[in-house]
Amino acid sequence: MTSRTPPLLEPYLAGLPDEAALVVLTGILGASTNWLVLRYLHSFLKQALGGDEDEDDETTTAEDEPSVLLVSFLRDYTFWKDSASRLGLDLDALARRGRFSFVDGLRSALFVPSSSSSSFTTTSTTTTSTTPCNAIPDRGRPTPTPTPTPPRPAPRPVVQAHQQKWKQPLTHPSLVGVQSGLHSAVDELVRARAARAGTGTGTGGSNGKVILVIDQLDFLLAAAATSSVTSLGLRELLLDLREKVHATILTLSADEPLVVAQTTSLEKEHAAFVLSLAHEAETILSLRLLDTGVAKDVSGVLRITGGGGGGDRRAGRPQVEEKEYLYQVVGDGGVRVFERGGQ
Amino acid sequence: MSFVKRNVVLSAARPATATSATAAQTKSEKQLQPGLRPSPVDGRLTTSTGTSSLDQLLAGHGGLPLGTSLLIEEQGTTDFSGTILRYYAAEGLVQGHQVHVLGYPADWKHQLPGLAAPDKKGKAAQPMAPPEDKMKIAWRYESLGNNQNAAAARGEASPGATFCHSFDLGRRLAVSSCPGVVHPMPSTGPPTLDRISNSQTPSPFKAIIKHLRTQLETSAPTTIHRLVIPSLLSPSLYAAGCGQPSEVLQFLHGLRALLREHSTRLTALITLPTFLFPRSSGLVRWMELLCDGVVELIPLPATPAVAAPTDTKTVDQPQGLLKVHALPVYHEKGGGGAATSSFRENLSFSLSASKGLVIKPYSLPPMVEEEKPKKENSPASTVKDGIDF
Repeated sequence: MTSRTPPLLEPYLAGLPDEAALVVLTGILGASTNWLVLRYLHSFLKQALGGDEDEDDETTTAEDEPSVLLVSFLRDYTFWKDSASRLGLDLDALARRGRFSFVDGLRSALFVPSSSSSSFTTTSTTTTSTTPCNAIPDRGRPTPTPTPTPPRPAPRPVVQAHQQKWKQPLTHPSLVGVQSGLHSAVDELVRARAARAGTGTGTGGSNGKVILVIDQLDFLLAAAATSSVTSLGLRELLLDLREKVHATILTLSADEPLVVAQTTSLEKEHAAFVLSLAHEAETILSLRLLDTGVAKDVSGVLRITGGGGGGDRRAGRPQVEEKEYLYQVVGDGGVRVFERGGQ
Repeated sequence: MSFVKRNVVLSAARPATATSATAAQTKSEKQLQPGLRPSPVDGRLTTSTGTSSLDQLLAGHGGLPLGTSLLIEEQGTTDFSGTILRYYAAEGLVQGHQVHVLGYPADWKHQLPGLAAPDKKGKAAQPMAPPEDKMKIAWRYESLGNNQNAAAARGEASPGATFCHSFDLGRRLAVSSCPGVVHPMPSTGPPTLDRISNSQTPSPFKAIIKHLRTQLETSAPTTIHRLVIPSLLSPSLYAAGCGQPSEVLQFLHGLRALLREHSTRLTALITLPTFLFPRSSGLVRWMELLCDGVVELIPLPATPAVAAPTDTKTVDQPQGLLKVHALPVYHEKGGGGAATSSFRENLSFSLSASKGLVIKPYSLPPMVEEEKPKKENSPASTVKDGIDF
């Protein structure tokens, strides 16, 4: 298997981002940022991969290990879980440990409230503890859920409460609804982390550095272009959230029609949002397709630049080394990153 | 060969094993519904689009993976994409799937192409020829190709389990005799007088998502559903308000969520006229981002008066170019790993009554001259029975 974190990306991915940093990943149609997000997840969460039983590895949860809150608007939890498991990350186990939580922004009920939304509440705790693999519990059909492991004894009540809370759906597409949803998710993650540490000494302490990863927040802007959500409001939402977390990673679409044309209000708002975030960011990793056509052994181009917020703003922080690499995603989820002309 | 044996035994014993097998494996072959087969790439279930060359295009999966959608854009005023939709719906009906048709009136189902009987086996084998031809070049991936051919051979071995039927545009599908059902959907059209008097539906798209959700929840968990969305946002089929970004993007987002929630039961095929909604607009780009696969058809201007040279008899005249912008699953992972597919090349398509839409690598005339001896060997290209449009 190809190296999980490509060596050329090590300097950018390894370790925690600086405090209050904003990293923007941009992708286009055909060059999605998913693999890059997964590499970030892997680099943040890889430390405590040893055991998978809750009770055993309590000691391994060190103080400085970050927790990750993943908010995804275009992809469901199953996708992230499957892809992460190829990198050796067990998101369920990490969630039980208070290291990971997920906010599901891909729900058919997000914009179209369903009459039967009461059935969203999970009924049996045993099923959720063994197979929390569907972002939304299946309703009305008996799924033949594969149960590879027998139901383990119920964990401590605190953890059990967290198990139901670590995966929350967004319930309301308005700015206020998203804001409250995300804030409560961050709070929940910090709380679970503190409870997991056993001490419970203050949630504002140094433990529980939360890294917020939002996948395609710009969708919210596009889907509600004329109504309440504006790029300014969304940026304010983001600023509020960034106060609570250690660092933020955003994926945005930077397709040419979305950024360049700026004729319709959708395009204007999108361009304003993406460009202003790019100015705020410390680092920008942008993916695009090959300019010269298509090739079998190249999936696309990765360009790493410093954003407007990095470098000279504070003394002593080096500017991001700007690079342009080629990358190739291979079949098993591995990624090769290499220089032009190199292998 | 192991495929064949397993299939024969288990399909014979299906009633007996149905109860015990549910807990063990969800993807075991014994439970496969008609019209499904596991992808040779990663084993996820796929279903046929009814156009076998389009199936072959989809990043090596050999079909449209369940739980994904495919957006087909078409330039100009031709209706090749509508033909693909008809094949998709007809394939679903023949396989016993539930077909949900948006926008079109109810009698659209009588326009579906009929099965090309009776030499079904020969016809089913025929579309497999171009990939085999391809394999000669992509020698590195021969093992993967053999997988595909094995799967295809399995489909042939038992005619009841044909993955992709071949249809004849000259015939009409007898809808009533098919195991599948066509479900009408809530109207999306411009408001008529009676709907104004109703005036309680906030948006047709929301009603559709609700309708689909209830359909999926109330039907048996083993039924496979297909969603046909023709000419999205075309004013003749959709109300004017549907073109608002908030309307259509929320609809596609809801559809994407439905596809993921019912990721073993639902596929969707969407067509979009790009002369009304150009790809350079941000709205269309978001629609593309919300769909799993994006394919663009660019019809070539018709040249009816051209004197076809004799050697073009062996090769169907390309009627248009096909561009692949994104593929299901493949680009979600980041765009890599499906080495067998040929979508990176320049592709052309041609439509004929018996073979349907055939997608193959586009080659300029001098290249055709060069490759002529090779193409004559393949049985698929020796038959020339195209309809000139």
